[in-house]
Amino acid sequence: MTAFLETTLDKFTFKVATDRWYTAEGLWARVEDGQARVGLSDFLQQRSGDVAFAEVKPPGTALKAGDEIGTIETVKVDIVLSSPVSGTVIETNPALADTPEVINQDPYGAGWLALVELNDWAADQANLLAPEAYFDLMKRQAEEEAKGT
Amino acid sequence: MTGKIVIVPCSGIGKTYGTVSREAAYILTEDLRPEATRLIALSPLVLGDAAARAAVADVPMITLDGCKLACASKMVAESGGQVARSFAVLDVYRQHRDLKPVGIAELNEGGLKLAQVLAEEVAAVVDTLRQEEGSHA
Repeated sequence: MTAFLETTLDKFTFKVATDRWYTAEGLWARVEDGQARVGLSDFLQQRSGDVAFAEVKPPGTALKAGDEIGTIETVKVDIVLSSPVSGTVIETNPALADTPEVINQDPYGAGWLALVELNDWAADQANLLAPEAYFDLMKRQAEEEAKGT
Repeated sequence: MTGKIVIVPCSGIGKTYGTVSREAAYILTEDLRPEATRLIALSPLVLGDAAARAAVADVPMITLDGCKLACASKMVAESGGQVARSFAVLDVYRQHRDLKPVGIAELNEGGLKLAQVLAEEVAAVVDTLRQEEGSHA
C-alpha cells in the first residue's frame, strides 16, 4: 500500500506518494519491472484545476527526459507536461479519453498518464527528486502560491 | 406545476466557468424559459435568507456548477433544497471543445456560445420536469 507525506495549507491538503520519484514541476515516475508509470502529483493537479482534456503521446513515441509527454487543458490553464524519464511510451491510460477528471480524483493511481519502457533509469533517477525532497519543494511552492508570489 | 423551477448557478466570482454558468442561467430565465424558471442566487440560500428559502420550498431546483467542486449543488442540498438535476459547465465544454470559454467579466464568443448550449440543455430538462409534473397532477 502506498504511503504518503502530507501537508495542509489553508483549506488545501497536498499528498506526496513515497513510492516514486518526482520532477520539480510535479510529474512522477514509479518504476515497475523496467518500466516507469508516469503521472501528475497531487499538488500539480490541484494547482492546475479540473482537467477538461488530457492528451498523451501515443505508444511508440520515443522520449528523452524533459520532452513533452502530453498536455492537459484545465479550467485554469493549458500545461505541457515534460516526461520525467527517457524511453518509449508503451501504453497510455485509456481512461483519460472519456474521463480525464480521473487525474484530479486519483493522481497517484487511476489517473496515471503513460507507461514508458525505460532507456536508462539510473540516469533519469539522478535528475529526479526523492519523495522527501519533492515534498519540501512542493510545500515551498504551495506557500509561495498562497502568498500570491 | 404550481411554482417556477428554480435555477441556481455557480456563485464563483472571478472564475470563467462560473461566469458561463451564470450567463446560461440568464439566457434560460430571461430568454428561453422565462415563464417556467426563475433565477435565485446561491448566496442568500447559503446564508439562510428567509425569503430565498421560502421561494425554493417545494419546487424543483436545477443547479449549474462551474467546476467539479459543485458548490451550487452541495450548498443547495445543504440548505434543504430539492435538486432535480445538476449540470456542470465542464461537462458541457468536454462535448464542445471548440467553444473554449475565456474571460470573466465579459466572456469571449466561445464562452457565450457555450452558455447558450448549456442553457438549451437545461431548457430541455425544464420541459421534461414540467411534463412529468403535469402527468402526476
